[in-house]
Amino acid sequence: MTAQHSEDSAPYGNPAHATLAAEVATAVEGVPGVAFLRPGLTDRLRSVVSRPGAAPAGVRMTPPDGDGPWRVEIHVVALRRARTVDVARGVRDTVERRLDALAPTRPAPRVTVTVTGLV
Amino acid sequence: MTDRTDPPNNASAQADDELLPCGRLLSRTWDDWERQTDDPHLRSCPHCRQAVHGLDDLESVVRGLREETDSSAAGYDTEPLTRRIMDVVRLELRPGRPLPLGEPAEDLWIMEAVAARALRAAAETVPGVRAGSCRLRDGGDGGGDDGTVEVRLDIHAPADAPLPELAARVRERVWEAADRELGMGVTAVDIRVTDLVPSSMPDDQEGGTA
Repeated sequence: MTAQHSEDSAPYGNPAHATLAAEVATAVEGVPGVAFLRPGLTDRLRSVVSRPGAAPAGVRMTPPDGDGPWRVEIHVVALRRARTVDVARGVRDTVERRLDALAPTRPAPRVTVTVTGLV
Repeated sequence: MTDRTDPPNNASAQADDELLPCGRLLSRTWDDWERQTDDPHLRSCPHCRQAVHGLDDLESVVRGLREETDSSAAGYDTEPLTRRIMDVVRLELRPGRPLPLGEPAEDLWIMEAVAARALRAAAETVPGVRAGSCRLRDGGDGGGDDGTVEVRLDIHAPADAPLPELAARVRERVWEAADRELGMGVTAVDIRVTDLVPSSMPDDQEGGTA
């Protein structure tokens, strides 16, 4: 839940997972009320050198352990003018729909959304 | 922290500068991009393009905020743009812990510092009130994890205000903000008046305590 930033940016071992995470990131950025994915401003100002296979900012996906579900953690900065919980719900629903379209899994993925800032 | 937002050629920023794989300093790449230098390397180098991509994103967000601020008549949105951006940067560095949003089983969260800032801002919409410490604890009997939150807010109140009524108004604003702006389940709002300030004092100081 409170994963450190370095973990958020950890490379995916499987390139297919990195692609999936990138697709999820793009979908989340299009959700009404989302300003940007965390890490947002801080990292933009600190280090912009990308590493191959790096996870998209603010998206962390953990493959199923056995028969369990995918675990997806999303960290976003939302716009103040939107009701925060509605933005978070929009993100969750969008991620669930996108994953279901791209890679349907038997147990539905477990999606956790954390709002880390409001602008 | 602050030196990261200084202009790239500021001397204090040198220690944080970064050498890109192409051999250029990040500061120079940003500077050239901002000055729209006609440099073929900047256009063709993947490392430099990647380096300015983040700035592009940032600029688009800032532009959106500026438009939103210009078009909105709500006082909540009219504070200086720079402060709003810096608030986000600070909150990313010291976010606190996650607190539940929405219904208990939803697995939606907001970082404590972000929620506290919104609630303090709501309290300060009551004329003359200055918000201080805002602590958020898990609500429910015995502090259990039932998806609700208790708010404890310290305020400075105008000396001539009737305190019970003032506290009630602040409590109502905080409650409304938690519900309407955030969507956070709040079970209690405790207001503690920690100081009285002369009401003749001009209320034009910086708002939104950090």
